[in-house]
Amino acid sequence: MFARPNFWTLVAIFTWALLILLLFLPVGAVLMSSLYDNGQFSLANYAKFFSETRFYTAFLNTLIVGFGGLVGALVLGSIMGFCISRFEIAGSRFVSLLAILALVSPPFIGAYSWIVLFGAGGVVRNFFRDLGITIPPIYGLSGILIVFSLKFYPYVYLLVSGALSNVNRSLEEAAEGLGLTPLQRTMQISFPLILPALSAGGLLALIHAIADFGTPRLLGRGFSTLATEAYAAYSAEVGSNMAMGTTISVILICVSMIFVLLQRYMSRRNVYHGNLIHKPIKIKLRGWKNVLAHFAVYFIGLCGALPVIISVIFSFRRTSGPVFKDGFALQSYERIIFGLGDVVRNSLTFSTASVLLIIVIGTLIGCLVARRTTISTSLLDGAFMIPYVMPGIVIGIAYIAAFNTGMVVLTGTAAIIVLSIFIRRLPYMVRTTSSALRQISPSMEEAAVSLGYSPLQAFLKVTVPLIVPGIIAGGMLSFVTAINELSSTLVLYVGSTMTMPVRIYLLILDGDFGVAAALATILLAISGLAVYIAFRFLGRNEQALL
Amino acid sequence: MSYLAVENALKRFGPNFTALDGVSISVERGEFFTLLGPSGCGKTTLLRAIAGFNDLTSGSIRLDGADLRAIAPHKRDIGMVFQDYAVFPHLSVFDNVAFGLKARKVSKDEIRTRVMEALAAVRLDKMAERLPAAMSGGQQQRIGLARAMVINPRLLLMDEPLSNLDAKLRIELREEIRDIQKQVGIATIYVTHDQEEALAISDRICVMSAGKIEQIGTPPEIYGDPQTRFVAGFVGTLNTLSPGPETDHLVAALGHTPSPDTTWVVRPENLDLASGGIAGEQLRGTVKKFTYLGREAHLQVATPVGDLVAQISNPSRAIVLETGSEATVVVPRDSLMAFGADGRRITGR
Repeated sequence: MFARPNFWTLVAIFTWALLILLLFLPVGAVLMSSLYDNGQFSLANYAKFFSETRFYTAFLNTLIVGFGGLVGALVLGSIMGFCISRFEIAGSRFVSLLAILALVSPPFIGAYSWIVLFGAGGVVRNFFRDLGITIPPIYGLSGILIVFSLKFYPYVYLLVSGALSNVNRSLEEAAEGLGLTPLQRTMQISFPLILPALSAGGLLALIHAIADFGTPRLLGRGFSTLATEAYAAYSAEVGSNMAMGTTISVILICVSMIFVLLQRYMSRRNVYHGNLIHKPIKIKLRGWKNVLAHFAVYFIGLCGALPVIISVIFSFRRTSGPVFKDGFALQSYERIIFGLGDVVRNSLTFSTASVLLIIVIGTLIGCLVARRTTISTSLLDGAFMIPYVMPGIVIGIAYIAAFNTGMVVLTGTAAIIVLSIFIRRLPYMVRTTSSALRQISPSMEEAAVSLGYSPLQAFLKVTVPLIVPGIIAGGMLSFVTAINELSSTLVLYVGSTMTMPVRIYLLILDGDFGVAAALATILLAISGLAVYIAFRFLGRNEQALL
Repeated sequence: MSYLAVENALKRFGPNFTALDGVSISVERGEFFTLLGPSGCGKTTLLRAIAGFNDLTSGSIRLDGADLRAIAPHKRDIGMVFQDYAVFPHLSVFDNVAFGLKARKVSKDEIRTRVMEALAAVRLDKMAERLPAAMSGGQQQRIGLARAMVINPRLLLMDEPLSNLDAKLRIELREEIRDIQKQVGIATIYVTHDQEEALAISDRICVMSAGKIEQIGTPPEIYGDPQTRFVAGFVGTLNTLSPGPETDHLVAALGHTPSPDTTWVVRPENLDLASGGIAGEQLRGTVKKFTYLGREAHLQVATPVGDLVAQISNPSRAIVLETGSEATVVVPRDSLMAFGADGRRITGR
């Protein structure tokens, strides 16, 4: 259907070259590095991994935070999803907004805010200590799990509320007619229908929890996961152990690959196509039940959005150096303007550059995958799975392993950061474009051809206008992830290419909370703007954020 | 030479599947020509080859003497109406219809006049500025029709345009299509799997099966004088007499010659009850099922030549027959059709 078929062959070749250079080469470098010990091929690194308690513990810890995050997200997310979609909750749109806030704010900001409140010198903890109540500080496993649950519950909430509002009311009425009690109805009808959504959402939480680096690093206080161990092995001041870093990376890839495959399997069965003649109605609760439902929803929503609220408030507090004083001032922002302008600028340029690359190249590849079904394109579709299973820290280490020496030396450049973000987010854009294209009936372009437009004109006049809103929205959502990316950048940055998340992370480590809060607020404002633009194009579609 | 001539059209998909196996048709100016057949018979493949969306493996397509296969699809000047409407959702009704005129560099004033005329013809002139997304299937297909007609194409192709609509609307819209086509006098090729639709709308019908043409003819020829067993069964319903001495006896009694290779069939509406007073051979049997449909009734009777369904028009209210009761079916003299082992027609009625 295209004017110049050769063009698409070129796109296919280009895509494969891109994948080989930016994906297979780095992943291959990681694998090779993990398999060589002093220049000899050996499995010594893996033997060491499984024999040393330190790594073994990190492995177990990773699974613990993963499943802990999953359970926490499932509990909070399904309570909220159930209440919002089945009961009349005053201000439910506002609650959804809180969930979106939790979703788009980077997890390490959450960790930091909880330290501010419940850390060793935390505001809330001090308040209660003055009243004579001692709360243990939030550090360690419990803190990590609280942060993960509150950060990742929106995945479950958005999927479950979507699924619940698609359950045809007649199904439950039919069950009622067959004599089932309300509890039996819920367990036997509604629950199986939302089970795919539950499992898909829970696994999303698990995958993100496993990959997360900032939260265990800031809150862990000795609690290590694979992500933090990989970073430690890579960045140790004395005796940086690249081989161990890459070995841990390979294991981390394998662990997340298992769960990503599981998640894809689950979400493939996500949809029950029921007719929606009878939309579920929302029940108006009365008395204490109503109070309880509102309390649950607002408690979860506000706790999830707490990091955002705390960041904003603390960014305006008066400071003296790193110490907070009473009253409000714009000092923290002044310090950003006078000292950290280049960090903000870096973040904006890097993210914009990666998103532009993602939009242009992702759209082209998306068209290729959707319109030219060959063995090559099916393989491409599969290859684009790989970036999904690569935690940021692993991508960072892989890029160092591949581009530090040899033909292409990129370490220390802005390009390496842009490319690392680009390759991780590219699959989302390819998917967005190809699924948008698949929804457009081919007869649409044929109609334009029969009316006298050449195939290329038909593509430009009919198909492009139909997919552009989706592409812009996808680009905006990619921008949100790009600008919030911490873990890969942390491995790849040098002084001149520092970004906002890295600076925030370092400021928190230094205890300079005021400036960190102000930077985080700016980051959130930019992310919020991008989400707003995306929703303008998509309609308010929270599920697009997943 | 006819206006549109397709000769020896052959289309292979892959090495093993032949979608069109040497098909030749010819369509005259102003003719309404229908391709009828079950799904997978090649009718849509043929239509799309004429439109230019899938080229033939071999064969020729000539329109008004010119070789169509040498012309790019967008330069063929052929209007097409699609099964899924293919209305552009991002354009208003007016812009949808004007879309083809814009490619032809028609002046703005002329576009306005012609689009409004076309919309008036499909009774959508009041909705010109609306977006099609929220409109009903019938309205969307009217847009599709107006959009294809407004460019004054040399040929109009319609690919199952009514199959996504509900029954009542289907009948209403097919009358409209037929009226507009007659008014404009444009040669039209219409693809459908609905035999009633084909009979109602066409000047001529081409029945296809498995990539081949079974029969081409006017609706009365197709229905009343089917040349193959497939056509007889696809267009209308059939009772097949079970082979045996009883059937041979019946066939002989009606003045035909029984033969072991021959299958004898009879249409339900040609049978009647003895009480109807029509002359013919009488078969006694027991009622297995009686379905009353108001303007007609279907009666399934177990007879010595097998189960026969008789369709009785205008059944009187007294006719109601209980299952298991006795009934006598009359097979009129010229109601039998015979087909050979190859499925070809042997004798006339």
